[in-house]
Amino acid sequence: MAAHEILAATNAVVTLDVALPGIVWPWLVTVNMWAKSIGTGIIFMLFMLLKMYPDQAGKLRFPVTVVSIVFIHIFLLFTLADLHQPFRMWHIFFHPHWTSAITVGAWMATAFVGLLFVLAYLSFIKKDNVAFDKLLTWVVLLAIPVTLYTAALMSQSTARELWQMPTESAQMVFAALLAGSAFMILLGGSKLNYEAKKTLGTVLGLSALMSFILYMSEYVFGPMKAEEVAFVLEYIKGDGPYTVMFWLGQWIAYILPMLLIVLSRASRSENLLKLAAILALAGLWLVKHVWLIIPQLLPMS
Amino acid sequence: MQLGFLVDLHLCMGCKGCEIACKVENEVPLSTWRLRVKYVDVGTFPETKRTFTPLRCNHCENAPCERICPVSALHYLDNGIVNIDKERCIGCAGCVMACPYGAIYIDPETQTADKCTYCAHRIASSLMPACVVACPVEANIFGDLDDAASNISRYMQSRTDVQVRKPEKGTNPRHYYVGASQVHLNPLASKREEGYTLFNKLTHLPVGGQH
Repeated sequence: MAAHEILAATNAVVTLDVALPGIVWPWLVTVNMWAKSIGTGIIFMLFMLLKMYPDQAGKLRFPVTVVSIVFIHIFLLFTLADLHQPFRMWHIFFHPHWTSAITVGAWMATAFVGLLFVLAYLSFIKKDNVAFDKLLTWVVLLAIPVTLYTAALMSQSTARELWQMPTESAQMVFAALLAGSAFMILLGGSKLNYEAKKTLGTVLGLSALMSFILYMSEYVFGPMKAEEVAFVLEYIKGDGPYTVMFWLGQWIAYILPMLLIVLSRASRSENLLKLAAILALAGLWLVKHVWLIIPQLLPMS
Repeated sequence: MQLGFLVDLHLCMGCKGCEIACKVENEVPLSTWRLRVKYVDVGTFPETKRTFTPLRCNHCENAPCERICPVSALHYLDNGIVNIDKERCIGCAGCVMACPYGAIYIDPETQTADKCTYCAHRIASSLMPACVVACPVEANIFGDLDDAASNISRYMQSRTDVQVRKPEKGTNPRHYYVGASQVHLNPLASKREEGYTLFNKLTHLPVGGQH
């Protein structure tokens, strides 16, 4: 249990109560968020590369679409797996409740998947790059709310003070940019030249920096605003049960990739860029997982 | 009509009669509770006292669980009760994450969300909730908040120390406490030590079923 100061004058101790519930949203939800970051992020990166390096990025239209389809389906699969009644998923479409971010997100994700398949058709079967690029603009626009809806869901979780808007929105966008650029660096291979990869490295580095700043801001200033945030952050401070995982995540996802990107620019090393990309993808899972779990350890009543 | 609940903590003696009545009436499975009474011991020996707090769904006017439910399984009844349709629930647990009062759980038998409904089925038959009937000291006061002549309205008008849990969340609970302190209302105002409590050594339970 996290350390928490109880007034000595009251010395209040819970002596009889029900057991606290376990983790309600487990690692399945972490995979959900992680896979969605890749699935939407790589679409953002394709759009950017097609604008900046059209000659090279043209060859990536179909591979990126396939990667996005795969990771969005991982996201959907784990969303389904996390439901206690997965066979009732269809209720979201036949009994939708539009105030819920889950409902809005499910509908948007479904539309997003449909458009991805159209992109795959245009690039692989019809081979119509003009139509692909036109549609891609709309897919990018839809990818933004698909990325953000989990942040809306977390902010709708009134009980979890740690998950605040607009911080979560910013985190989700940066996670998508980080994951998308990292995966594109790995996917680019010989199709992208060093300059294009350097641009992706810049996106990765800046996303890592901004994410790190957001987490550190919450880490330092969060406890000054709310008692619940202070209590939750005790789990990642001192000898808290999630301290190691939290800092491991910060180092692997953000700090080391930033350092590696600076080194890669100095040495023009693509291998360092690839290492930064792999670390960022692995670390992102840890970061997301810690942030998902710790508010669930808070006693609610 | 807006139904509400008030617990006079001066009267509650922690007998858990309400808890058992709720369990029986609603066939609440083992390891889960729609209503529970929490004991918190306060002070240092020999200057100690024990507090009792019945905890149940607050049937908020601005209920986060209703808002986050993707399929309207959680919904308002005309009388203000936040009810649950277990046949519609998909078990996403969004409501569990949203409720600031920890009042919602995943039923391990049905794999759906469940919580106190103020015994909506009894109220539909003009009966009082089971916990109200079971309370030997009438610490549970239930009635229509829109009716100024109802027991609960008159009780609230006669007291100056009526409080709700976590008002800062903006949920506007329709569940009130009289005679409450921070120790009663704020879960962070007391320690939860690992290991044995009075009657058991349960600390954490896995969420029922799949996870």
